[in-house]
Amino acid sequence: MDPECSRLLPALCAVLVDPRQPVADDTCLEKLLDWFKTVTEAGPSLLLLQENPCLVELLFRVLKAHDPRPRVLSFSLRLAGLFAAQEDCFQYLQVTPSSSVSQQGELLPMLFGESGPLGGAAWTAPTVRSGWLQGLRSLAQHPGALRFLADCGAVDTIFSLQGDSSLFVASAAGQLLVHILALAMRGPAEGHPSPQGCDWPACAQKIVCHVEDSLRSTATLQVTQALNVLTTTFGHCHSPWTQGLWVRLSPLVACLLEKDPIPASHSLVDLLLSVARSPVGSSDCGLWETLAQTLSHLSPTQAGPLALGILKLQDCPQALKTQAFGVLLQPLACVLKAAAQAPGPPGFPEGATGDSITVDTFLSSKSACVGLLCQALAHLELLQLLPQRPSPWPQAPLLRAAVAILRFCHGSAAPTSDVGGHLCAVLAGCVRVQRAALDFLGTLSQGTGPQELVTQVFAVLLEYLTSPDSSPMVLKKAFQATLRWLLGSPKAPSCCDLDPHTQLFLGELLPVLRKRLCSPCWEARDSGLEFLTQVTRHWGEVPELTGQLLRDPESYVRASAVTATGQLSSWGLYATPTGPEHPEVQQESLFTELLHILSTDSEGFPRRAVMHVFTQWLKDGHADVAEDLEQFVARVLQAASQDLDWEVRAQGLELALVFLEQLLGQPGSRCPYAVALPEAAPPATLAQVLQALCRVQLFEFALRALFDCDRPVAQKSCDLLLFLKAKATPCGGPQEAGASPDVVSVEAALQRWQAGEQGQPLGELEPEAVMAVLRSMDLEGLRGMLAKSSDHMEKSPQSLLQDMLATVGVLGENEADCY
Amino acid sequence: MPEIRVTPLGAGQDVGRSCILVSIGGKNVMLDCGMHMGFSDDRRFPDFSYITRNGRLTDFLDCVIISHFHLDHCGALPYFSEMVGYDGPIYMTQPTQAICPILLEDYRKIAVDKKGEANFFTSQMIKDCMKKVVAVHLHQTVQVDDELEIKAYYAGHVLGAAMFQIKVGSESVVYTGDYNMTPDRHLGAAWIDKCRPNLLITESTYATTIRDSKRCRERDFLKKVHETVERGGKVLIPVFALGRAQELCILLETFWERMDLKAPIYFSTGLTEKANHYYKLFIPWTNQKIRKTFVQRNMFEFKHIKAFDRAFADSPGPMVVFATPGMLHAGQSLQIFRKWAGSERNMVIMPGYCVQGTVGHKILSGQRKLEMEGRQVLEVKMQVEYMSFSAHADAKGIMQLVGQAEPENVLLVHGEAKKMEFLKQKIEQEFRVSCYMPANGETVTLSTSPSIPVGISLGLLKREMAQGLLPDAKKPRLLHGTLIMKDSNFRLVSSEQALKELGLAEHQLRFTCRVHLHDTRKEQETALRVYSHLKSVLKDHCVQHLPDGSVTVESILIQAAAHSEDPSTKVLLVSWTYQDEELGSYLTSLLKKGLPQAS
Repeated sequence: MDPECSRLLPALCAVLVDPRQPVADDTCLEKLLDWFKTVTEAGPSLLLLQENPCLVELLFRVLKAHDPRPRVLSFSLRLAGLFAAQEDCFQYLQVTPSSSVSQQGELLPMLFGESGPLGGAAWTAPTVRSGWLQGLRSLAQHPGALRFLADCGAVDTIFSLQGDSSLFVASAAGQLLVHILALAMRGPAEGHPSPQGCDWPACAQKIVCHVEDSLRSTATLQVTQALNVLTTTFGHCHSPWTQGLWVRLSPLVACLLEKDPIPASHSLVDLLLSVARSPVGSSDCGLWETLAQTLSHLSPTQAGPLALGILKLQDCPQALKTQAFGVLLQPLACVLKAAAQAPGPPGFPEGATGDSITVDTFLSSKSACVGLLCQALAHLELLQLLPQRPSPWPQAPLLRAAVAILRFCHGSAAPTSDVGGHLCAVLAGCVRVQRAALDFLGTLSQGTGPQELVTQVFAVLLEYLTSPDSSPMVLKKAFQATLRWLLGSPKAPSCCDLDPHTQLFLGELLPVLRKRLCSPCWEARDSGLEFLTQVTRHWGEVPELTGQLLRDPESYVRASAVTATGQLSSWGLYATPTGPEHPEVQQESLFTELLHILSTDSEGFPRRAVMHVFTQWLKDGHADVAEDLEQFVARVLQAASQDLDWEVRAQGLELALVFLEQLLGQPGSRCPYAVALPEAAPPATLAQVLQALCRVQLFEFALRALFDCDRPVAQKSCDLLLFLKAKATPCGGPQEAGASPDVVSVEAALQRWQAGEQGQPLGELEPEAVMAVLRSMDLEGLRGMLAKSSDHMEKSPQSLLQDMLATVGVLGENEADCY
Repeated sequence: MPEIRVTPLGAGQDVGRSCILVSIGGKNVMLDCGMHMGFSDDRRFPDFSYITRNGRLTDFLDCVIISHFHLDHCGALPYFSEMVGYDGPIYMTQPTQAICPILLEDYRKIAVDKKGEANFFTSQMIKDCMKKVVAVHLHQTVQVDDELEIKAYYAGHVLGAAMFQIKVGSESVVYTGDYNMTPDRHLGAAWIDKCRPNLLITESTYATTIRDSKRCRERDFLKKVHETVERGGKVLIPVFALGRAQELCILLETFWERMDLKAPIYFSTGLTEKANHYYKLFIPWTNQKIRKTFVQRNMFEFKHIKAFDRAFADSPGPMVVFATPGMLHAGQSLQIFRKWAGSERNMVIMPGYCVQGTVGHKILSGQRKLEMEGRQVLEVKMQVEYMSFSAHADAKGIMQLVGQAEPENVLLVHGEAKKMEFLKQKIEQEFRVSCYMPANGETVTLSTSPSIPVGISLGLLKREMAQGLLPDAKKPRLLHGTLIMKDSNFRLVSSEQALKELGLAEHQLRFTCRVHLHDTRKEQETALRVYSHLKSVLKDHCVQHLPDGSVTVESILIQAAAHSEDPSTKVLLVSWTYQDEELGSYLTSLLKKGLPQAS
C-alpha cells in the first residue's frame, strides 16, 4: 500500500466508526472497497492487516457499536470477507483479538455468526444482509471457509435469504449457494461422486437436500429459487460431479412437468437449456425427452424461449429441432391460415399448421395475442441470423406471414375466417406488432422469394411509408426494412441494373419520400434522410430534396442532410439547386454552403457532420477540394479553430492529419500531391511541404490545440505534431533556425497559450522556426501526460481518502439533492 | 386479488439514479432511467439484469416514462434502449425530449472522450433513442395500449419536468419525479388534481427540511457576486448547460439592470443560445410572470450576458463567468478555475452538488491544495461558496401534494433513509394512509380491490327515474335489481327482465305461521273480528275482508279455521311474502296477543 494511504488510513477508520460523522458520499465506501480489492489481490492481506492494525480495529469497533450504521456495517462485512479470502489472513481473523479494544473475541464468527449483525436491529436493512452475503462470497475460497460456514450455521441463513424481500439479496443468496456447492465439491469430491450423495461432503449434501425439498414444495417461489440455483450451477460448473447432480435431481424436475399449471415455467426453461448446454446435456439422452415433453406441455408463449434455445444448441436430435421449430412457427401458421383466401396448408414444415392451442391464445385476449406474435417474430428474427438455423428455411411462407401481419395491423387485410376477423380487430393499429413485423421483414431480406411475393413486400412497405397513421418509430422501421430489401437485392449497384419491379417501386417511393421530408415531425424527416443517404445512388432527384433540409430547424435533421449531400457530392450526384425558389444559393457551391454551416450553425451536430464530410472529401480527392487544396484546408481549419464544440476542433485535427499524410506521401493516398511526392520526401520537397503547412496555418491550429482545455483535442494535436516531427527529422529538415527572432516569438506564444491565454495570434511563420520549436518541445512527455485520463489524479486512492476525510464536518451543508 | 408491485432499482432510499419498476394491472412500466454520476463503471447504471431475466425486455416492459431531463433521471436511457436492447415506447414531455440529447451529449463527452471509456453509447445511439420517444402534453391522456394510459402533470423543478399518472382499469399510480411546490423565477409550482390514486410515489429529497425562502438564497448570491465584482474580483460559476444556469442568468441580468452594473457577464458553453432557444420555445412551461412579460420582452434574451471567448479569462478587471461543466471536473470551467484560483479577490460559486473525486467536491470540502495533472499542486486562494438552488419540494410541499392527490398509499423514493423514516411517520399520522420506503431491490406489494364493471339496463334506470328522484353524484342510492353474469359480463336488470332473459319461471316464497286463538265463534266471525281489529290498529295499511272470508293486509293473507280437536279454539293461518316480512312478523305478534273483547 502506498505510504501516503497508509498514513491516512487510521484517521479514516476513526471517522467511519464515529457515529457522529456521516459517511461522505454513497459512492465513497464502494470505491474504498474497490481499492481494497485491488490491494488484497496484489499482495498478502495478512501483511496489510499487520501493517495497518487500524483495519482490524475498525471491524471490532463497528461490531461493538450499539447502533451501527447499516452502510458502514455492510462495508465492514464486505471488507472482512475480502481479507479472509486468503487462508492465512482468514486464520488470523479467526483468532486474533483486537489490540486496543477492551472486548476481544474471534472476529469472523462475530461478524458472520449468529451473535453478529444477524440477530441485531441492523439486519432489517437490506444493505446489511447484502453485505453479509457478499462478505461470505469473498471469504468462501478455501476449505477452512467451508468448515467455518458449517460451524456458524451460515448455510441455513443463506437458505432463508433466498426468499428475501430484496431482489438483490435473494439473488446474491442463490449465487452464494452455488459458489459454496462448487467449493465443497472441489478437492476430495472431485470426480464422479455417486448420485445418492453418500460420498458428498456434508455441506454439499445439505445444499442439495435443500434444493430437493424446494423442488418438491408446492410453493412456486421455492421451486423457482431451487431452479435458479441449479441453472447457475449448470451454467458455471462443468466438473464431472454436476453429472451426478443431474442424475439425482432430474426425476424431481421431470415431476414438475406433470403439474398443472407447470410451476415456475420460466425458470424451468432456463434450467433445461442450461443443462442442455453443459457437458451433462450431451451425455444424458433422457434430457432430450424431457425437453420434448416440456415443449408440448408449456403454453405457446412459455414454449417460445425454450424452442429458440433448443434451436441454438449445437448437437441435439433432429426430431427435437423440428418440434421446436414447429413451436416457433405455430403463431405465423395461424396468421397465414386466418389470412388465407382459399383453404390449404400454410406451407410451413410439418408440425406447424396453426394448432388450436395457439388459436386459443390468439382469441383469449388482445395482450396475449400481441405478446405471442411479437415474441414469435423476434425469435424467428434471431434465428434467421444464426448459422445453425433450420434448413430448409421456409422463406416464402415466412414472407407471406410477415406481409399478412403487417396488413392486419394496417387494416388492409380482408379476413375470410373468424380468426382472421379477430386478428383484424386486435392488430389494427398495434404499433408493437408493426415494429416487430417490420424488423422481421427487414431480416428476411437476406433471403430471396418468388417475385410475386417480393412485389407484395414492396407494396406493404409502401403502404406503411405512405400511411399517415404510421408512428415515427414505425416509419423508421419501415424505412430500414425498405432499405434492406433494396440493398439486399442481388443486383443493385446502379439504377439501370435494377429489375423493373424495383424500379417501379422506386418511382412510387419518390413522392412518398418527398412528403416525408416535409413532415412536421423531425423523427420522420430524419429517418427519411438517413434512408436517403443509404440509397442515394439510385436517384437524380434526391439532391434537391436533401439540399432543402440543410436549413431544417432541427439540428439532428440538418446534420443528416449535411451527411447526405456530402455523400451525394462525393459521387458527383449533387448539383446545387438552381430553382427559382433558391435565388440566394444559386451561385454558391456546396462547399461554400457547408462552410457557411460550419461557421454559423448554432448547434454542434450539423457542424460536426460538415467536418466529417470535409475530411471524407479530402480523403477521396473530391473535385471541389482538388480545385484549390490549400485554400480548402486553410478555410476549413480557420473555421474549425474557432469552434466552441470540441468535437469539431478534434475533427479539424483529423482533417489536418489527412492533409499531412497526403503531403508527406502516406502509402495508398489518392491525393494528387502524393503522386508528386515520393514516399521519403527529399529535404527540398519537405521544405515545400512545410511552406504549404505554414500557408494553410496548420501549425498555428495544431499548436493552439495542443493546449486545448478539452483533452481529446490536445491529444490529437500531439499525435499530429509527433507524426510531423518523425517525418521531418530523419531527412535532416530545413536548417536549424537556432534562436532566431521567429523561434523566440513562437515559443513566447506557446507559453502564453499554455498559460491559457489564447488571444494572441501567431502571425506569419517560417517553417524553420516551426521545426526548431517542434524539436525543442517534449511532445512525447506531453503525450504521456495527456494519455492519462484527466481524472486519474482524482481517481487515485489518496484522493478518495483525502476527500472522505475532508468531508467530515462540512457534509451537512452540501447535501446531495440532484445534479 | 389484483395487486400493484413497485421495485426501485435506483432511488430506493438514496438520491442516486432513479429507476423504479411498477407492475400494475398486469402491465410493467419503468419510471425514469437515470444514471449515477459518482461511478465511472457499470455501477453508474441501474442493474437491468433483474428485468432481462424476465424474458425479452421489449415484451416484458410496456413502456418507459421519463420525468425530466436531469441525468439522474434519464442518463441511462440510451444505454438501456440501444445497448441493453429495449425497443418499446418511451414517454416524456416535449421540452424533456428536446433537452435530453444536449445533456446526454455533454455526459457522453465526459465519459467517452475525457475518461477514455470504451463501450459507451454514441451520438447516433442518443439520436436513435430519442426517436423512440413519444412526446406527451400536460393533462393529455395518452393511451399506451388498450388498457394502459398515462397522463402528465406540471411538476415545476426544471423546464419540462412532469409528474405522471399511470392507470390500468380502475387502478392507478402517480409518480412525481422531482417536483417543486413553490414557484421560482422561471417556473411555476407543481400541481395535480384530486386523482385519488392507489399509490403515490413521491420524491423525498428534502423530507425533513423546511426550506428557507429562495429569495434569501438569491439575495445572498447576488450580494456575494456584487461584493466580489465591486472589489475588482472575478466570479466563476460552474454550471451544467441547462437548468440552473438559466435561472441564475435571469437573476443576474435583472440585478445588473437595476444596479446599472458595468462588469461583464459571460456564458461560456456555446450552448447558451441553444438553451435559451429552448426556454423561448417552451415558454408555456415557464411561470406566469415570464409568460406575461414575454409580450414585451423575452426574459431569455439577455442584454448583459455575452458569449465567452477563451481570451476573456485573461482580461484584467472584474467579470462573472458561467462555465461548464458544473462539477469542475474538466473542460472550460476547470481551465478558468486554474487561472483564477490563486487570487483571494476571486470567487467560485458552486450552485449544485458535486460527486466525490471532482475538483468541485474537493474545494467544497475545504481542500485548498489540489494535486493536478503532472503532479502540479494548485493552491486555492479564491473564495469558495456553495449555494443550493435545486428546486425540490420540502417537507411541507410533499405533505401538500399528498393532500392534493389524496392517495390510498404513499411510497417514498429519492431521499435518504433516515429522513424518509421521519416523513413516513408524519404522512401516516396526518393522512391515515400506509407509507412505504423500499430500499433498492425491495418490492412493495399492494393489494387493490378488484374492479368489476357492471352494466345497468335502461329499463331499470328509467324505473328509478320514474320514482321521481333525480340522480345526485354526491349521494349514493340503493338500486334493486338482478345481477346477471353472462359471457364474463355483469349486468344489473329488473327481476322481470332477468326472468325473461334467462327463461325462468317466478317462484313465490311465502312465510307461514299459525296463531291459536281462544274463540268459540264460527270461523267467519273470527275472521271478521280479526278484520275489525286490524282495521283499527293498522290505519296506514290497506286491510281488506275478502268474500271468501279471508283477510288481507298488503300481501299478507289471514284465514281462520277450526281446530281439529278443540272446537273452542280457532287457528289463524297467516302467510306473507318476503317483501312484507316486517309487517308479517308484526301482525303475527299482534295476533298472538289475542283479539279485543267485543263490546
